[in-house]
Amino acid sequence: MKEIVFENVCKSYGKTKVIENLNLNIHPGERLILLGASGCGKSTTLRLIAGLEEITSGNLYMNGQRVNDVSSGDRNVSMVFQNYALYPHMTVADNIVYGLKIQKLPKEEIRQRLQSALDMLELNGLEDRKPKDLSGGQRQRVALARAIVKRSDLLLLDEPLSNLDAQLRGHARKELVKIHQTYHQTFIYVTHDQVEAMTVGERIALMHEGKLQMIDTPYNVYNRPANVFTAKFIGSPSTNIFEAHYAERSIIIGKQAVRLPELWSAHLGKNGCREFYLGIRPEHIRLEQNKTDNVFVGIVKYIEEYGNRCGVYFDIEGNEVVAICDRAEFKPGNRVCFGLAADKIHIFDKQTTMNIGYPEVYCEHFYQYQSV
Amino acid sequence: MRIDKEIKWHVLLCCALVLSLTPIVFALSSSFKELSEAYSNVFGLPQHPTLSNYVQVFSRLPLVQITTNTFLIAVAVTIFKTVTSTLAAYSFVYFDFRGKNVLYFILISTIFIPFTVTMIPNYLTISQLGFRNNIIGVILPQLSDATGIFLIRQAMRTVPRSLIEAARLDQTGHLRILGNIVFPLVKPAVVSSGIMFFINSWNEYVWPVLILKDKANFTLPLALQLFISSEGGTDFTIAMAVSVITMIIPLVLYIIFQRYIITTFTSSGIKG
Repeated sequence: MKEIVFENVCKSYGKTKVIENLNLNIHPGERLILLGASGCGKSTTLRLIAGLEEITSGNLYMNGQRVNDVSSGDRNVSMVFQNYALYPHMTVADNIVYGLKIQKLPKEEIRQRLQSALDMLELNGLEDRKPKDLSGGQRQRVALARAIVKRSDLLLLDEPLSNLDAQLRGHARKELVKIHQTYHQTFIYVTHDQVEAMTVGERIALMHEGKLQMIDTPYNVYNRPANVFTAKFIGSPSTNIFEAHYAERSIIIGKQAVRLPELWSAHLGKNGCREFYLGIRPEHIRLEQNKTDNVFVGIVKYIEEYGNRCGVYFDIEGNEVVAICDRAEFKPGNRVCFGLAADKIHIFDKQTTMNIGYPEVYCEHFYQYQSV
Repeated sequence: MRIDKEIKWHVLLCCALVLSLTPIVFALSSSFKELSEAYSNVFGLPQHPTLSNYVQVFSRLPLVQITTNTFLIAVAVTIFKTVTSTLAAYSFVYFDFRGKNVLYFILISTIFIPFTVTMIPNYLTISQLGFRNNIIGVILPQLSDATGIFLIRQAMRTVPRSLIEAARLDQTGHLRILGNIVFPLVKPAVVSSGIMFFINSWNEYVWPVLILKDKANFTLPLALQLFISSEGGTDFTIAMAVSVITMIIPLVLYIIFQRYIITTFTSSGIKG
């Protein structure tokens, strides 16, 4: 199993910096997701590991060995490409075993590995077909089979499910986790889809503009975002962020103030934090209509129907806020209000946009919180 | 409406076909006529078909030797040009090196240099090397070609880079990637470039006429010239017989490889 360490890695194309000072440890045998929007540098990071791109500065280690100058073929990694990169002129079987033939493995060994991959990915009967005669899902499975038969320590997946329809994607996600549990390779998986990241990943590394924003478990990335970007990127609709300040044991947004529980007051006092961003997830806002005491008040602008739930959009002191409710019990123009659930709020430093942390009692349920 | 449009196109294509085939039919039918009949019955089919023109060609010239020369030159040029063009195109597409684009630009600009500009320096070089009156002297300056590099490079650019990267991750060397992965995908372009090289070399006249002096070393276009120049008289029925012989081998090659040629031209048409 390979441990991969990025040490101050930068990658530039001419004057354009794609990766800036990346420090990242990938543990042997884990499923790590590189998540981010298009152009954030996640695919480039994956290609740096594969050796398909050269590192501009910094060091990349695999198992303690510096691999900056090791060619891609010598890194013993398998990769599933976004477009699958199946050789169009070869049959499914030839595609799967091409790398094994290059490695000059014994014929019997090649046959066994092929059969086991065909069985695992339910590709029996398709061996003699050409890629053009396969459906998207079948092509994706052939690409996976080709990566698996190599039995390398490291499997790199570059948005492998992005060409599949939603139903197949759900099935393929489960299949990927099953493959990982069978072979225990280190999975490094690039995606822009947060549902994929949450469901497949053991850890998620969130990237933005070439910088690592946060790396942690899906649970922590969702519930303990390291910074404003993470809070806004993860979750749909995204986290509500308010410009707020703290005075007289209350959080004040515009002209409205809500008293903070003692724990938070002490925490903010300890940090000396007065001006900050307050983050609350839409699903953590419990809207009420009639309460007046210790609540923020707004007027409903419109309702977004999701079928099982609905999003209520309202305005507080010029900030558009969305709350997720079970039923559409509110109508545009209604007065709505909500209080602060002390264990469901996030406070970010106004200058650095970094999370200032949580009162100790709220940290108990979480894994070690890591910010970068 | 649709049928009307189709008929118009077919009429146009028929006209084009007649225009292209007329010289061939004319040459073929004239080659079986006596010279006197060729002047009295210019466009008609031969009234008294004769093989005398072909017999005369074979008796007056070492035609087997001349055809062999032409074939050897064309084959050598085709193989070398195809191999050098394919390797160069691969490097230009898949290798990243400093000055790649400038080098490619310079290379492509050589397409626009007229033959007459390089003719004399090439002639002097071949003379110095002692290859005058030798088919090697005809072959040497034709061993690489920017047009071929351009055509094959364009085809290789359509091969997704990820295929090459997938092969690289499997420790495949570049020659193997070229042979196992890229070549099968660009075969139509390579084969049709090869045919183009073959036909160009087969029809080449000016350069061989400068280099080759002995009839035994001649190529078919030079042999043809013997019967139509003022020096050799105008035995034009014999010249037509030589023309027909000159046409045969390229025609056979075309019939064998036509599917590649059609694929290349239709696919380049679709991709614009």
